[in-house]
Amino acid sequence: MIRRTKPGTSATDIAFSVKGLRAELVSRRRFLIEAAGGSVALLFGLPNMAGADDYDPWPTLGAVLEHLLPSEPDSPGAKEIHALDYLRFVVADTRVDPEQRNFILQGNRWLDDLAREKDGRPFLELDFDGKDKLLRQVTRSSAGENWVSTLLTYLFEALLTAPAYGGNTDRIGWRWLQYVPGFPLPGPGTRYMELPL
Amino acid sequence: MSRDFDVCIIGSGAGGGPIAYSLAKAGFSVLVLEKGPWLKEQHFTKDELACCRRKVYSPELKDEQHVIEESDDAGAWQATATAQSGWDFWNGNCVGGSSNFMSGYFHRLKPVDFKLKSTFGAIEGANVVDWPIDYADLEPYYDRVERLVGVSGKAEAHANAEPRSSSDLPYPPTVEHPISGRIDEAARTLGFHALRVPRAILSQPAMGRRACEYSGFCGDFGCSSGAKGSSRAALLDHAVATGRCEIRPYAKVFKISTDAKGRISSVDYFARDNSMQRVDARIYVVACQAIESSRLLLASVGPRFPGGLANNHAQVGRNLLFSAGGAGSGDMAFADHDEAATMSLRQVGPFVNRALDDWYTFSDPQLGQVKGGIIEFLWDHPNAVVRAENAKWRNGELVWGKPLKRQLETWFRTDRTLNFEVFNDWLPNDNCFVSLDGQIKDRWGSPVAKVRIGAHPHDLHVGRLLADKGEQLLKQLGARRIASSVGPAPPPNLQAGGCRFGDQAEHSVLDPDCRAHEVDNLFVSDGSFMPTGGSVPYTFTIYANSFRVADRIIAQLGGGRSEGT
Repeated sequence: MIRRTKPGTSATDIAFSVKGLRAELVSRRRFLIEAAGGSVALLFGLPNMAGADDYDPWPTLGAVLEHLLPSEPDSPGAKEIHALDYLRFVVADTRVDPEQRNFILQGNRWLDDLAREKDGRPFLELDFDGKDKLLRQVTRSSAGENWVSTLLTYLFEALLTAPAYGGNTDRIGWRWLQYVPGFPLPGPGTRYMELPL
Repeated sequence: MSRDFDVCIIGSGAGGGPIAYSLAKAGFSVLVLEKGPWLKEQHFTKDELACCRRKVYSPELKDEQHVIEESDDAGAWQATATAQSGWDFWNGNCVGGSSNFMSGYFHRLKPVDFKLKSTFGAIEGANVVDWPIDYADLEPYYDRVERLVGVSGKAEAHANAEPRSSSDLPYPPTVEHPISGRIDEAARTLGFHALRVPRAILSQPAMGRRACEYSGFCGDFGCSSGAKGSSRAALLDHAVATGRCEIRPYAKVFKISTDAKGRISSVDYFARDNSMQRVDARIYVVACQAIESSRLLLASVGPRFPGGLANNHAQVGRNLLFSAGGAGSGDMAFADHDEAATMSLRQVGPFVNRALDDWYTFSDPQLGQVKGGIIEFLWDHPNAVVRAENAKWRNGELVWGKPLKRQLETWFRTDRTLNFEVFNDWLPNDNCFVSLDGQIKDRWGSPVAKVRIGAHPHDLHVGRLLADKGEQLLKQLGARRIASSVGPAPPPNLQAGGCRFGDQAEHSVLDPDCRAHEVDNLFVSDGSFMPTGGSVPYTFTIYANSFRVADRIIAQLGGGRSEGT
């Protein structure tokens, strides 16, 4: 790529008819979060159902990630690429937009609340079809679609970025997709948060 | 009067590097102030997160941003801050600037580019002018860049080849991909001519730098071998080695101060600890990339310059240029090839190095004889996450689970996407300019640049004609799913103009030597000087002109003191 393009307008996007979609989603998400005063609850169209303060988002997030990228005998899933650990790294990374980090955690909480409201059980206890149905329902709102889309993005990062960042264990993502990475790769001392920026 | 340095250069990219190199070699003391850090070969890896997702080589937009004014459907100008839109107009803030991250496609301008007005006449709504210099004035400096920065390739005779003073490029071509030969053949079949593209990439070790190591990751990535001809690797390292050039990273210049006579007296900057520092010199050179150079001049008001430095004729920031054109793609499906051909398609590392310039000028039934441009061919960007991102949508809905995995396998394993990019002139016009935003400030409290990005409809028409030619070639190659897009959105990394050079102070900021008409100790040496941009990437011309300006500065300082350039 010589010409840097406006987000969502690359030739590849256009060729596959998703022109502008991602850019639109990014701006829509920002707009909606601002319009809702930063509360994801309002975005999901739910009353404020905040649970106990000791709510641990990680088990549910792990289950969502494994549902979005399931393990199969011949190809890795969220578990094999250590996607949950990678997401912990993302949520702790100050280089990632704080709004987005917050969005990941809050969206997860409201997914769980929606599961309890609809099925009387937390997301973790739903069967495969129940999880799938609930996630599909969540994506019918713009914010919910953005939340799932954001998780998919970080799953792709865990699958396809340098193993030094905690995902893509033993290059398992690259090997699965027959992807040839560049060299040298980042390692201890050259990961972006370790550069003398 | 005592001065800290002979020359102070603000910005260390392609505009600043040649000045630092030439002046230090000529025996003068040089200070380079660079806003960003000083990263070196050992810091650069092929890291998609660093370059392109966390964007660590440029500022976080919450700290430093731009405001972009776009025309809405009703023709009104709508301003959006880039921290809101995510549309990043930074291109690399570190020693060497964005030249660290270029792809190094080094086409010269052609003689006609210096004479657009007299060759093609005026275009309504566009501020087209001839340059105050000719191709012949710049040619020796293109030649110098080829030798000192290190340009590889082979000069071959063809209809639109530029005149050269040397018979060939100083370094042989980089290793080329098997697709290059197929492009040559397809072009021949269509009656086109595919030319071999010169690259600012060393194909063999030279000048203390290693040769290209063919990782397949070039544009957007810093070069870990030193083969890419960045201002840092090719010029600044040598300038520093003279002992006469000091580079101060983390130095954010916020004002250029002037005295009662209208000469620059000092430069004020924030150091890494945010303390305010001041430095003075005999000559000052601004080279912050076009948008930021105009911004700095506009912000530098003084007793003789109430509207900004060198701006008493209200020209600073006007006639900003990007590169018009667009991009297209087609998929080379492995199913259309036998095993050996598929293996060759999958090769990663060698360069495509092919472009078409058959329509650099052409006759259009609607517009008559017009300036066209070039079509550059290249493999799809190697970044993986961005490719996967496209696979998560189907018919506008998110896909996950096993269907997503099957879609990823299809996207990654079944074809390779060959792209082309069209470059044609971005016509200078009154709706494309830089000003200071009245509300948003950077983290040091300075107003950010507001950029109106209006494009002339002529550019879209020409770009579409060229994109159709690119599509023809992809079709001849047997690509599937061929598509292209030409639009008015500018590529933020291809900036020029804003301080155009010319003979008259009423219509230009700089004189033909790129010295400010209104300030005799100020030069601007980045792409800002260009009154029209030509239709190739800018870096080569910025380098060449900056070497030319360096010679003028040396002359103004009384001539070289030592070994010379």
